[in-house]
Amino acid sequence: MTFTSFNFLIFFPVVVILYNIVPAKWRIWFLLVASYFFYMNLQPVYALLLVAVTGFTYFSTRSIDMSDKEKTKKRMMRWGIILVLLPLLFFKYFAFINNAISDALVSSGLSLGLPKIELLLPVGISFYTFMAIGYIIDVYNEEVECEKNIASVGLFLSFFPLVLSGPIERAGNMFPQFAKMQSSKYSDLVKGAKLMMWGYFMKLCVADRLGIYVDAVFNNIANHNGTTLAFASVLYPFQVYADLGGYSLIAMGVARCLGFAVIPNFRRPFFATSMSEFWRRWHMSLIQWLTDYIYTPLSFILRGWKIWGIVAALMLTFLISGIWHGAALTFIVWGLVQGVYLSIEAMMQGKRSKFEKKHGLGEKWWYKLVCCIVVFVLFAFSQIFGRCANLQDASDVIGKIFMQHGPLFLDVTTLGYALTCLAILFIIDFRDEFLPNRFRLFESRYIVVRWLSYVAVIMLILSFGVLDSGQFIYFQF
Amino acid sequence: MKREEIVERLTLIFRKVFNEKDLVLRDDLTANDVETWDSLTHMLMITEVENEFQIKFKLKDLNKMKQVGDLISIVESKLQ
Repeated sequence: MTFTSFNFLIFFPVVVILYNIVPAKWRIWFLLVASYFFYMNLQPVYALLLVAVTGFTYFSTRSIDMSDKEKTKKRMMRWGIILVLLPLLFFKYFAFINNAISDALVSSGLSLGLPKIELLLPVGISFYTFMAIGYIIDVYNEEVECEKNIASVGLFLSFFPLVLSGPIERAGNMFPQFAKMQSSKYSDLVKGAKLMMWGYFMKLCVADRLGIYVDAVFNNIANHNGTTLAFASVLYPFQVYADLGGYSLIAMGVARCLGFAVIPNFRRPFFATSMSEFWRRWHMSLIQWLTDYIYTPLSFILRGWKIWGIVAALMLTFLISGIWHGAALTFIVWGLVQGVYLSIEAMMQGKRSKFEKKHGLGEKWWYKLVCCIVVFVLFAFSQIFGRCANLQDASDVIGKIFMQHGPLFLDVTTLGYALTCLAILFIIDFRDEFLPNRFRLFESRYIVVRWLSYVAVIMLILSFGVLDSGQFIYFQF
Repeated sequence: MKREEIVERLTLIFRKVFNEKDLVLRDDLTANDVETWDSLTHMLMITEVENEFQIKFKLKDLNKMKQVGDLISIVESKLQ
């Protein structure tokens, strides 16, 4: 079951009603059962993996907590991480490595007839694995108390609003909320419904509409010219933003209806004026996770190399981020490109800051606009590697963008709907960025404005939304 | 070394690394309060502090540094 499926429209209100009926002490078990029901509706067998990862996480954190010796604590942390990582490594990378070896043997005439393996990736595995690792490290670092109730650990890793695509939550935020589950407040239900409504608008009206055009172009690269490919490459970052951003808002809204506050995943990323700022606004839960558990330890170990230690840590962190996104060379290049952007920026930061101060550019609107456009173009370029099936396709796209111009492929109806909805999303983001307390619609103090806004968004979803239960892009990760 | 002297020397490091000439350190100062204080410049600051006071931090120390007051306390404890 996904957020855009018909089943979810029944499942969600039933869960909210029952959650408020069952006695408080049983709520954790109720949500655990509901979460596994939700997950098993998609992939029943793979729920066993979720159980296994929960078991490894619970026993390693309990062992760390009960041990007095630092050496034992460290050993238990390492074993916990290895065991939790094993399913992810097997399902995500085994087929890639096996097939790469098999292809290499065939191409060098040493064919051993190894069978190619294609495994169905357990949905959400990249997300709950990272949450489990974060929790184990946090217990080792004494950042959070070890949770003794296995139901809490089970719910943390399987919580249905988050299990499929995050946000990648932290134990420190979720366990205290699990400990005092109260009935849903009216204000939570209203806030949650608003978040969900806007999330559905982003997903169904912006992401899925843009997706029709972007897919038509990227799935047929050979028959499109550079102008069309450049246009689709510009639209793709907006599609991903609306897709994962929309999903995240629905997740936050669903959780909020049950009284839980979940960390946000996006903060209007296309208004960032530097790449480092962009990465503090884009897929924030993943970047914060990578910062805390990969970048910080690496840059700490390499700090003796000063700026070069930071460069090395950045490159490695984004390389890991690329590999996390997928077992393919395109994602490795995607990660390296991000690492190069951030490294160059880190090395230039002092000079840039002096230049901006000298010429008083920091507050100039046109300078900010130029910076936003440069950041967007750099990110859109890197996303070509994220979107293409292989490096050959990516290099064809880039080659055509620079060399082969021509008339733009226009699908007037699809683009008309998509760009209208994208414009609405942009205007709302612009308001939130620059006029945060003005022109409120969902939060207007006038009931008429609020209700007109709700009706307008629902009408937009029903008129412009792609309502055939399309997949979320991040399910593949 | 007295706390005041630690704060004085840390202030010079912070002003240099974060490129803020008038930065004044407070116990509750965090990365959110200084525009140029991000995960990149943070590690440069840590290295400068280690060199200045001839101390070595552990990764666990870093995790405990939620605000400037924590950094001052950790430096203080390392110097004792």
